[in-house]
Amino acid sequence: MEKIFLIAGFGGQGVLLAGEVLANAFMLADKNVTWYPSYGAEMRGGTVNCSVTMSDEEIGSVQSYNSDYVIALNQASFDRFLPGVRKGGTIIVNTSLAVEAKPRDDVKYVFAPLTSLAEEKLGNVKMTNIIALGLLAKSSGLISLDELEKALETVIPPHRKNLLPLNKSALEMGYKYDLLPINC
Amino acid sequence: MELVTDKKILTKGNYAIANAAVMAGCECYFGYPITPQSEIGEFMSGKMQELKRAYVSAESELAAINMVIGACSTGKKAMTSSSSCAVALMQEGLSYAASDELPVVLVSVMRGGPGLGNIYPSQGDYFQATKGGGDGDYKLIVLAPSTVQECADLTYKAFYLAHKYKNPTVLLADGMLGQMMEPVVFKDYPYPKVDNSSWALDGANNRDGRIIRSYAPSAHNQCEFLQKLHQKYKLIEENETEWEEIGTDDADVILVSFGSTARNAKIAAKMCREKGLKVGVLRPITLFPFPSKRLSELSKQGKKFISVEVNMGQMINDVKLAVKDDVKLINKPVGIPPAPVEIVKQIEEYYASF
Repeated sequence: MEKIFLIAGFGGQGVLLAGEVLANAFMLADKNVTWYPSYGAEMRGGTVNCSVTMSDEEIGSVQSYNSDYVIALNQASFDRFLPGVRKGGTIIVNTSLAVEAKPRDDVKYVFAPLTSLAEEKLGNVKMTNIIALGLLAKSSGLISLDELEKALETVIPPHRKNLLPLNKSALEMGYKYDLLPINC
Repeated sequence: MELVTDKKILTKGNYAIANAAVMAGCECYFGYPITPQSEIGEFMSGKMQELKRAYVSAESELAAINMVIGACSTGKKAMTSSSSCAVALMQEGLSYAASDELPVVLVSVMRGGPGLGNIYPSQGDYFQATKGGGDGDYKLIVLAPSTVQECADLTYKAFYLAHKYKNPTVLLADGMLGQMMEPVVFKDYPYPKVDNSSWALDGANNRDGRIIRSYAPSAHNQCEFLQKLHQKYKLIEENETEWEEIGTDDADVILVSFGSTARNAKIAAKMCREKGLKVGVLRPITLFPFPSKRLSELSKQGKKFISVEVNMGQMINDVKLAVKDDVKLINKPVGIPPAPVEIVKQIEEYYASF
């Protein structure tokens, strides 16, 4: 089984970090995994994305267009990457920064005001990306909360370990968020 | 960044190369930053100083390669890393290092060219690495990793082969391998120590002085030197040619592909098998020495060959020379490799043309 995940948003929203946590979680779950960023002349506030490919077998392509799961943290990412979601795939949309709309009827939508949740419930806007990972874990069923928590411990550097409890709360909040309605 | 020695981690190809170089005992790093390989210099700038080894942020690529030549003259394990248009600036140094027979290690992480080009992945420096842009009849040993794990493993090998054969050695990766993260395990450096006591400039205490120079004072000397140099290249071809083969035994068509592109070639071959097309893959791991002999053997069995590359068709020339037949090219000029479905489509068209 091979699944491709794409995370996209503004530079500064923790897009690459979220991908790194997800990829580490798959590694800890003994899957083959690759993480590939859009790299180069990027800047804070510009657009950024990364793809994570998980497979039981050898991984070839690191292409980022056709994905099984997309996390769109802003409107531009929703517009750009919705067409590439595979039929029956899922797009998780940050409705704080994107309009709740369903232009396609052959994909599943998960709408959540991620930025507002991070700001209002956790008091830290930087938790947006991690809440999204919680939602991804729940809606995909492909990775456990436990594995994501272990991945967070690996990825968060020693001098930021004080943020670990907050990150774990963010994961949990995403995981427990009422996913309904998921419509096709 | 911490030096990792004993566990499986998820890291970028660039960090894997740098970590492996430190573990291989690299004592000197000289370099000048350029995308997409700047993480190598970044890692080295911290780690080498911490370990009391030498790190110099050089003022230019010319300076960097000549610093490596200086360090290698003393028998030390020394390296530099760069990318396409900046490796172009190092060609004179590489030619000198080849004629000085010095164990220079160069990590070349390819990006788009020619000229300044762009920062996206490419395999456009196959010629630059294997044919060289420096003057004279020289060869560089060229190793081409295909995964982040191989980025680490072949870095070890690059240091070993460079010192074993006293020959500049290139690890030829690309922007995709440099920037992508994959799980990697760093084994202990698996190769024996190479004795350099017969040539290294390590101080003429109680022995005659030595000189390492790139100059042959007479035509006769230069003839002898080139014969000797090329005997060495022949030995390298006999001993060190390395490649991977998948499903070539019963294949009608063999995809020849190296580095990151070979990953997609392998998947394409598998998809072809599912459609009943007998397609195999031969992935050269050493680009010099090139697995010409094996390709020639396979060609004599009547198999056809397709070269899959991310450039306008460079390795295809070496494949043609080896198989003495027409070879089809499936390519993408620059960027991440062509998707497996695109490769399969072109293979099907190729089958239909018979």
